[in-house]
Amino acid sequence: MRDFHLLAQAVMNGDIKAAVAQTQAALDAGADVQELIDRGLIAAMDEVGEKFSKGLLFVPQMLRAAKTMQECMKLLQPLIKEGEVTSKGKVLIGTVKGDLHDIGKNLVSMMLEGAGFAITDLGVDVHPDKFVQKTQEIEPDIVAMSALLSTTMPAMPATIEALTRAGLRDRVKVMIGGAPVTMKYAQEINADSYAPDAGSAVTEAKKLLGID
Amino acid sequence: MGAFLPLYAPLTPEEVRQIDHTSRQVLERVGVTVYESSCLETLDAAGACVDYQTQRVRFDGDWLNAALGSAPSQFVLYSRDGQNDIHLGDGKVYFTNGGRVFRIQDSQGRGYRYTMLRHVARTAALVNQLQHINFYIVACQAHALKPETYHLNDFYQAFKHTTKHVMGGCDDLDGVKQVWELASFIAGSEDNLREKPFVSVITNPVSPLTIEAKTLRVLRFCCTHGIPVTCAPAPIAGATAPATLGGTLVQMHAEALAGVAIAQALAPGAKVLYGAVPATMDLRNMEFCLGSVEAAMMNAAAVQLAKLYNLPIYASAGVTEAKKSDIQAGCEKTLSNLLVAMAGADCIHLSAGILDSGNTISYAQYVIDNEIIGMVQRVLSGIKVDQDTLALGAIQEAGPGGNYVVQDHTVKHMLDEFFYPALCVRSNFDIWEAQGCPDMFTRASDVARQAVEGSSNPILDAALVHRIKTVFPGIEDV
Repeated sequence: MRDFHLLAQAVMNGDIKAAVAQTQAALDAGADVQELIDRGLIAAMDEVGEKFSKGLLFVPQMLRAAKTMQECMKLLQPLIKEGEVTSKGKVLIGTVKGDLHDIGKNLVSMMLEGAGFAITDLGVDVHPDKFVQKTQEIEPDIVAMSALLSTTMPAMPATIEALTRAGLRDRVKVMIGGAPVTMKYAQEINADSYAPDAGSAVTEAKKLLGID
Repeated sequence: MGAFLPLYAPLTPEEVRQIDHTSRQVLERVGVTVYESSCLETLDAAGACVDYQTQRVRFDGDWLNAALGSAPSQFVLYSRDGQNDIHLGDGKVYFTNGGRVFRIQDSQGRGYRYTMLRHVARTAALVNQLQHINFYIVACQAHALKPETYHLNDFYQAFKHTTKHVMGGCDDLDGVKQVWELASFIAGSEDNLREKPFVSVITNPVSPLTIEAKTLRVLRFCCTHGIPVTCAPAPIAGATAPATLGGTLVQMHAEALAGVAIAQALAPGAKVLYGAVPATMDLRNMEFCLGSVEAAMMNAAAVQLAKLYNLPIYASAGVTEAKKSDIQAGCEKTLSNLLVAMAGADCIHLSAGILDSGNTISYAQYVIDNEIIGMVQRVLSGIKVDQDTLALGAIQEAGPGGNYVVQDHTVKHMLDEFFYPALCVRSNFDIWEAQGCPDMFTRASDVARQAVEGSSNPILDAALVHRIKTVFPGIEDV
């Protein structure tokens, strides 16, 4: 059995350079790609996840480790048969029309990206038509919106309505967030999911797409 | 009487210079993204280095100095009755609450609900009665209020329920126009308002180093209409700013100076406050912290940075992550209010009424914070030392084994030496028990209830209210 200890260690440390070098070295030495992924990268991320849940690692360390894994995956991607390993899913995200408050939205983007989602961030004050247009263009799995103000919250149902009119509503999952937003509100406006903070956004996004 | 400020300066003069120098490098090399073409043109015409392609503005040192040079170091945020004018830059520390909260805790301290227009009215009435909260910031969002007449209504309720100076956020140009038209009408004319502005506006850039078009339009309107304004950055160390306090201060200072400089380019001499709302991120779980000890330290440091340019500062303190009026709330609020006040901030916002990282207000908390601020102000007024207070005569009169209770000296000074809290429990145990074991929260809840219910004295007279409603038909009642 090949030893992937050093690779796993580099991923856990978030040391991109060392991890990529270890991956390359393992490939050069004839390692099996699936074994490298399972026993090197995924084993490392499992341990990262466990340490994080115990409070032994902080969020930046977790995100660094995830990014390190993604960089290693770039080397492996060409060697894997199509469809075997893909990104977790595509997420289109933005703050709704009229709303400039983007701190929460940015955190959600960072966390989702760290968890392996492909993010397209439309920024702030995003018009419903813009959400629709981009949805048509990139065909995301999830459309994520946030709002902080009572005056901008109605832009969420307006955006959902626009997606429906464009015939896109059943092709995407809609996820909403923002300080005043609640699960009840999400149900009222016919969103698919709501997350109270950035960490749970990842959990909710995985749930929506049926990823464990 | 009054202690010499600052009593707390977290940075040495050399460190202040290093941070300032680095911020100026940021403004020169990185610059600020400005998403508004007419503002870019104004800045271009004023001599800033504008890249239209990237909408990036860079400020060289000389240009920045010239722009900052026209910013006033002193101006007044007027009250409507002249009783609570805020003289920024006079060396005093003024406290105010904070705004745009979306949730209120009920009076028993159990449930939470969305804030409505009536909560704007009641918090304004409450602040009007609380001695140590020097002016009022429109405290909360009014859910269910139509966007088209939103700021006409939230500011109207503020004016209707307090004579203290009113400050607040405006979402867009239309909103700030509504506020200005209403305030001009109450003032009697646009000129009256310009001469004694009793309303001011809060805007915020987006950290890092970005100012949105809507923000700039509001900023421009204020600057050209004589409405005092701040463009207050709220960088979060570890998320939207570097994880080091020094690095966050560098970025915040660059953003704050850019705000002041842009305001001056839009209207030289505009009344603008250097703004500072630095916060931190708890990187264990990405939890936003307005009430962290580091946030308090950075706000105090921000005062030093603003004073390097003799600019009045809109700083922040008195915030907590606690969800209710508990021990954590008391610790965090007292620590930051005290540190930032001791640093000599001209005005400290968020200092009253707020819980839950700026998401929740509570009437009782306003009353508790009023008392904390009273104690902080007592610290600032210092220990008076003169012939009379040294009391040699009184000591001689009492002599060994005597007492001072009925001495003239005691009667003369008992009202001017001590802060008398209204909420803190000081009675002995048996009496406290006989009173039903009150604590700060139960007492504050009683005071708040009376203040909110008993505030029926009209502040705007009926005839004026009638005229306002005729001219502004969009006004709603609460």
